[in-house]
Amino acid sequence: MSRSPVDAVADITADGTDARRLAGVIALLARPRCSSETVRSACRAVGGDGPPSQQLDEAIAQRGIVPGDEVTQLARTWRELGVRLSLVGDPTYPAALSDAWPQLDAPVVLAWRGVAPVDVACVAIVGTRRPSGYGTAVAAWLAEAVSAAGVRVVSGGAVGVDAAAHRASAEGPGGTTVVLGCGHAVDYPRQHARRGGLFDEIVAHGGTIVSELLPFEPPRAGRVRARNRIIAALAQAVVVVEGGHRSGALITAGAAAQWGRAVLAVPGDVRAAGSVAPHRLLSEGAAPCTGPGDLLDALGIDAGVLGSLTGSGNGAATHPAGSAQRAGEVFALLASSWPRPVGVEELAVRTDTPPARLLAVLTRARIDGLIVEGPDGVRLRQVPATKGSKHHSS
Amino acid sequence: MRRVLVAESSAGEAGLVDGLDVLGVRDVDEAVGVLVGSRRVRPAASPPPVRRSGGHDLADVRGQPVARRAVEVAAVGGHHLLLVGPPGAGKSMLARRLHGLLPDLTRAEAVEVAAIRSLVEGPGSVQELEVTPPLREPHRGISTAALLGGGSGVPRPGEVSLAHRGVLVMDELLETPRQTLDALREPLEQGEVTVERVRARVRFPCRLQLVAAGNACPCGNTGDTRRVCTCTHAQLHRHRGRLSGPMLDRIDLHVQLRPVAPERLAGIPDGDASVDVAERVRTARRAAVERWGPGSLVRDVPIEHVRATVRSDVIGVLSSAMEGLGLSARAFDRCLRVARTIADLDGTDTVAAEHMEEALAYRLPPIGVSA
Repeated sequence: MSRSPVDAVADITADGTDARRLAGVIALLARPRCSSETVRSACRAVGGDGPPSQQLDEAIAQRGIVPGDEVTQLARTWRELGVRLSLVGDPTYPAALSDAWPQLDAPVVLAWRGVAPVDVACVAIVGTRRPSGYGTAVAAWLAEAVSAAGVRVVSGGAVGVDAAAHRASAEGPGGTTVVLGCGHAVDYPRQHARRGGLFDEIVAHGGTIVSELLPFEPPRAGRVRARNRIIAALAQAVVVVEGGHRSGALITAGAAAQWGRAVLAVPGDVRAAGSVAPHRLLSEGAAPCTGPGDLLDALGIDAGVLGSLTGSGNGAATHPAGSAQRAGEVFALLASSWPRPVGVEELAVRTDTPPARLLAVLTRARIDGLIVEGPDGVRLRQVPATKGSKHHSS
Repeated sequence: MRRVLVAESSAGEAGLVDGLDVLGVRDVDEAVGVLVGSRRVRPAASPPPVRRSGGHDLADVRGQPVARRAVEVAAVGGHHLLLVGPPGAGKSMLARRLHGLLPDLTRAEAVEVAAIRSLVEGPGSVQELEVTPPLREPHRGISTAALLGGGSGVPRPGEVSLAHRGVLVMDELLETPRQTLDALREPLEQGEVTVERVRARVRFPCRLQLVAAGNACPCGNTGDTRRVCTCTHAQLHRHRGRLSGPMLDRIDLHVQLRPVAPERLAGIPDGDASVDVAERVRTARRAAVERWGPGSLVRDVPIEHVRATVRSDVIGVLSSAMEGLGLSARAFDRCLRVARTIADLDGTDTVAAEHMEEALAYRLPPIGVSA
């Protein structure tokens, strides 16, 4: 005796995701020869400039999709794995991706474990599965510094460069996100996906494991390629550490260019096979990445944040009370919006703070290392104490 | 020199200069007549000064209180201003309104401005003394010669000199060729530009206020939450290269604009009207004049004079903070000036920490070209 598909799906929806719509999308994806691209082209055919949710509803209705037992089965699998799902346009689905829907190839659904994949400043660190000692060390060095500056590190969860980047960033304030090239139920790569492996460790530290695929889809070449474009789209900048002449990192870089993300490459030993991909990117106009500062620069984050962090402890621990008292409302708004950045003008209007005072407060907070500022506004550098637990799935 | 004889057609123009009896004569015969005393010519009367109203009011700018504040600060100190944001965020609107906030030129300043205009427009073309500061808005495709001054054979002042004592608006600054931007650096710093031509070498004044506007990226979508940036990395890289570090350092106030969503406009209270802001600008400028003498603008006063009014503990605190935030020494000095201006707006004679913190905020926002 099975439950109704929509009820089963309701167990795995993220906050703000509609179970009925999600059940329809899963049913569509579960059909033979159907993929995220099928749904996207259906939505493009529907047209209109309505929100993605409306396009999805119309596309599902047009095709006469009725979720059946297969949806119930899939939902049960996901639930057992502790996975939740967000549809494009939902509050827990990154706006960086849904803004391009359905024109660019944003995934229709994100199945995730850990902290919801909401919008935060992200850097992708990608590279070969067989790095040199230099490659591993550079990946870890960059990842640790970036995470310490409050920026999330995204990568593909593979062995080699990816794993080095995930490990080094998992415990920092920025944290890390793994984008899988297979379903959540597939143990790949085995040493990371097994119980107590790297992925479980990442989730335990407030990280995220994402996949756009149904739980049992194996990692085929085409899917890994598709995975790479999600990595690029989630990040504001992609840095390629090491890779051969046919490296998947080149695909990630290509996708980054298509999505308008910055591409950086770490220069390597000119004699090493692993330097082919980064050096080719450099010759094609990628920016050289010679340290974490270059990466933060590409994000529009002042590299000075790094200096204040690597100095004597972090300023946040010594001053927050003073700053917070002087501008309680400003910090309250930033905390409630976390991790979304808030524009400075919006801060002034919504907290009714005179600009002169607001700017003085923000400068103080930057000097103290409490906030970071990017093209989209200001956000707290670290998870506000009141917010951290809310994002974890139970 | 008390009396001058000029061609009659130029008498009106020459009459703009204070303290001169200008006698306009038709021909040499008449000139000789005047000199030997056989003929009397009445001195040309100097015309009353004219003020033209721009008709752009700051109250039209909805929301964006921070950008409005930056415009006000810029107007007080004559500081250069850079507005970065997607199309439709109100960059040109703010640039024109800044001009509307500037107080009238003094008579002496107005004569300088008229003299430069006369060189470009030809003898006798300037017949009235305009006390509105000039507003120049050259097209972004402007040649270096047209911007800095050129002319065949005889040097002619360019846009920077035509904007002397006024505002030079450069829209799409990042689309302007790199060598043009670099050529702009020295005139901005020196307040004058040397134009060399075959037949002469002339220095023209160009104490201007630069108001630059630019898109955050070539496609213009960066900073607009409703759109996605479609630029390639190479494009972005080129775009950023246009604003070389030294050029950015010369612009005191950087403001990022985001378009205000129409549905948000409803609840936003109106900002102050231009007349009210202009009054504050006048008061604050008077403070600088009382401190350093007539015509003093915080932008142009020697930096030691500015430093003398800043409490030493403020400089100490901020220099250690700026070390961490990675600003150049030039940026430091420019921040001092902006802080001085903010203190003037505040009506205090000593620059305090909060003034410096606000000044730093106009420096710190990164230029959002990195998508």
